[in-house]
Amino acid sequence: MERSYLKTVIMYCVKELQGQRTIYSILHLLNGKKSSQTIQDAHLFQLTPLFRTFGSLSRDVLDQLAQELVSSCWMAPTDEKHFILTSEGQEELGRSLLECPIPSSLNGWLYHSAGDLFWERITLLIQVISHLNNNNVKYLPIQRKRDVHEWLKYFLRTSGFARNEVGVVLNRELCQCLERLSDINPAVLTLRLTGYNRIGLTAVQTSEQLGISHDYYHHQFLGAIHHILASVKENPAEYPLIDKLVSGTGNEVQLTLSAQKTYTLLKQGLNLDVIAKTRNLKKSTIEDHVVEIALNDSGFNITSYVSEKKQKLILQAANSADSLQLKQIRQMVPESDYFEIRLVMAKLGEGQ
Amino acid sequence: MRLEAVLQSKFGYPAFRPGQKEIIESVLSGRNTVAMLPTGTGKSLCYQLPGYVIEGQVIIISPLLSLMQDQAEQLMMNGEKKVIAFNSFLTSAEKKQALIHLNQYKFIFISPEMLYYESVLSQLKKLRIALFVVDEAHCISQWGYDFRPDYLKLGEVRKIIGNPVTLALTATATSEVKGDIKKSLGILDDCSEFIYSVDRPNIALSVERLDNFREKTERLVELAEILKGPGIIYFSSKKKAEQSAELLRDKGAKRVMAYHGGMDQESRILVQQQFIHGQLDLICATSAFGMGINKDNIRYVIHFHMPLQIESYLQEIGRAGRDGKQSIAIMLYSPGDEQLPIQLAESELPDKAQIDWIMEWVEENPNAIPNIGLFEEQIKQRSGLTDVQWRIFNDFFDRKSKSGLDYRRILQDMKGYYEGRIKLKRDSIEEVYKWIHKKTCRRENILSYFDEGKNASVPSCCDICGLQLGNFTRNTNSDNQESPLYDWKNHLEYLLIPSE
Ligand SMILES: [Zn+2]
Repeated sequence: MERSYLKTVIMYCVKELQGQRTIYSILHLLNGKKSSQTIQDAHLFQLTPLFRTFGSLSRDVLDQLAQELVSSCWMAPTDEKHFILTSEGQEELGRSLLECPIPSSLNGWLYHSAGDLFWERITLLIQVISHLNNNNVKYLPIQRKRDVHEWLKYFLRTSGFARNEVGVVLNRELCQCLERLSDINPAVLTLRLTGYNRIGLTAVQTSEQLGISHDYYHHQFLGAIHHILASVKENPAEYPLIDKLVSGTGNEVQLTLSAQKTYTLLKQGLNLDVIAKTRNLKKSTIEDHVVEIALNDSGFNITSYVSEKKQKLILQAANSADSLQLKQIRQMVPESDYFEIRLVMAKLGEGQ
Repeated sequence: MRLEAVLQSKFGYPAFRPGQKEIIESVLSGRNTVAMLPTGTGKSLCYQLPGYVIEGQVIIISPLLSLMQDQAEQLMMNGEKKVIAFNSFLTSAEKKQALIHLNQYKFIFISPEMLYYESVLSQLKKLRIALFVVDEAHCISQWGYDFRPDYLKLGEVRKIIGNPVTLALTATATSEVKGDIKKSLGILDDCSEFIYSVDRPNIALSVERLDNFREKTERLVELAEILKGPGIIYFSSKKKAEQSAELLRDKGAKRVMAYHGGMDQESRILVQQQFIHGQLDLICATSAFGMGINKDNIRYVIHFHMPLQIESYLQEIGRAGRDGKQSIAIMLYSPGDEQLPIQLAESELPDKAQIDWIMEWVEENPNAIPNIGLFEEQIKQRSGLTDVQWRIFNDFFDRKSKSGLDYRRILQDMKGYYEGRIKLKRDSIEEVYKWIHKKTCRRENILSYFDEGKNASVPSCCDICGLQLGNFTRNTNSDNQESPLYDWKNHLEYLLIPSE
């Protein structure tokens, strides 16, 4: 399979990581592993758009692609499983990104779960509308999941749109939204839609029809979906029908289950030591949770854990340090501990 | 003419296919019925139609999840809302919900392993069961290739739910297997039998011998190019199906896709639907493809790998020519091809060494014996059993230890039993091998395997009797039109705006 686009993505990550993380942190990022470490790294190195955008990438494949990048002299090892780009690599990355830019609308961190559900809903809705329009009731639904079907019944009952109106409105909203895609051909999405007497293409067929690699197609497809979700979020009044399709796709604060439990206890006013004891976990684990919460919930205030004065010092250090390595920052602000630095960095990632 | 009226109003067919009416009349008159209808001749109608004529529920036991899902969906597509497929696809909440409301359904599909649950059985007992259907009934026979241990319980289940009228359906069964079906279900002395020939005279049979794998591949490309579609090519590996689809596309055949169980669900549905709607001409598939597919005009089926048994071969080629028009089945064979199915067959069952490892484990953990099923992970870890192997093992052990046998004896029996199964599988493969190599009419040889004789002359019979491949080829360039330029806005409009 042609994987030069995926290699570009890997090189991009390697560049952003500046040799401070192993190559496997890229695997976890692209797979969308829900661990505190992965989530923090994604924010710290501004890689959140790529979160869970290659969910099925395997370790073997990553190893092999990394090997190929090293053989091409675009990447060089600095340490066990740590890499940086060579100057040829930097050039190559620039060239590749010009040719196949990572879609600007891609936002895996925000939309990975909502995107899947949205796609299941909208494909089923379109299929149903198309068959209704043609008075055909005999067809096999393109989505099999029971809850998507339940949702559709509920939607058609409660959407507030007349049955014969839904298609017209959806057509208008989709056209308007997809027209505004800057760097993606809307066909990446529409070719896959199924309706009366016309079955949609699979992802592989679509990428072949459009003449792009499977990997690049995959990112463009996600990019198009994320574009719709972001447009609706920004301006729900402009897309009243799609807004209803998105509702309840659950994209608010996303935490690992364990961090959720910690958050509940935090909200009840318990302090970290007590939570650690109640939950029979190490305090460092609870601290990981707090950092995860800080990363996910923009409303979470860290001042009760790091004084404003310390926050300022840490920020100054982070700005003047030549890398974002915690160790280096710690040396510059010796009165702070790693937990405090990580919390401040979590908020730093958010601002960007 | 009442049945014809139902056929027309509920299913939109003007007339029954051979056998259907007799079988339906038999179950409607309250007789237990064993029916053997060849693949592709509308078996499922034999329980669907009675459902609309008699009061009470129709229970359908179906061995394969995908098949069950397809059958349930077909009913729903036909406008039937009171259908449920009760299987492991349901979440436990959905299962609970469904169990409470079981009496509100008309057609209840159940996978055999669900019948192990007391809660399911006790709900079934409360129903008024009009018809108890055992689909793919040959799975009940230990002599059958597709033996499913879960199916052995069906006789007992039938008794528990009050001996309802029973319909056992199968496409292929030797006389031995037929006997087993009746015995296991407890209807040996009390049933009618409707056996229709497994022969499908409109499907020509051909075997092509090639020297090696490379030649086989070349011939495949050639056949795909000249034969009139739509067609299916069967492979025994996902990888080869995938590679061949790609190879054929590279050679210029645009409308070819692979289909196998390793694809994600959305792609599987799309490919299957594209094929049914004529957007694809050719599917490179594993045996996962085809069950429950309603496509009448498949013109050819090619086997790239040797099938594991005559029965499954017939099922697969039976997907061709359901419209009754001339079609062809071609098997490509090169020397040594029989090795692959033998390996596949052997890997399905635990071997002696694995059973010895289990023996050691049981000796260390004697307390586990009464509830061996609870120790799945540990035992799998020790012996390296696969999921399929584990299910076979667990079932055997459970059954035997309930009948009071000592575990040493059970494990000893097990070795003998597995040896028997493996021999059976080898014998089945041997049958296919012999069939390929015989120099006499292929149709006659298949029919005699099922104790049938060949009827009068079949015009395009087989390569031995003489075949003109030219009868199955297509006019050149008929499908070479360029598709019009794609416009996404037009497409959206086509899908969403009523055309008036
Ligand atoms: Zn013949």
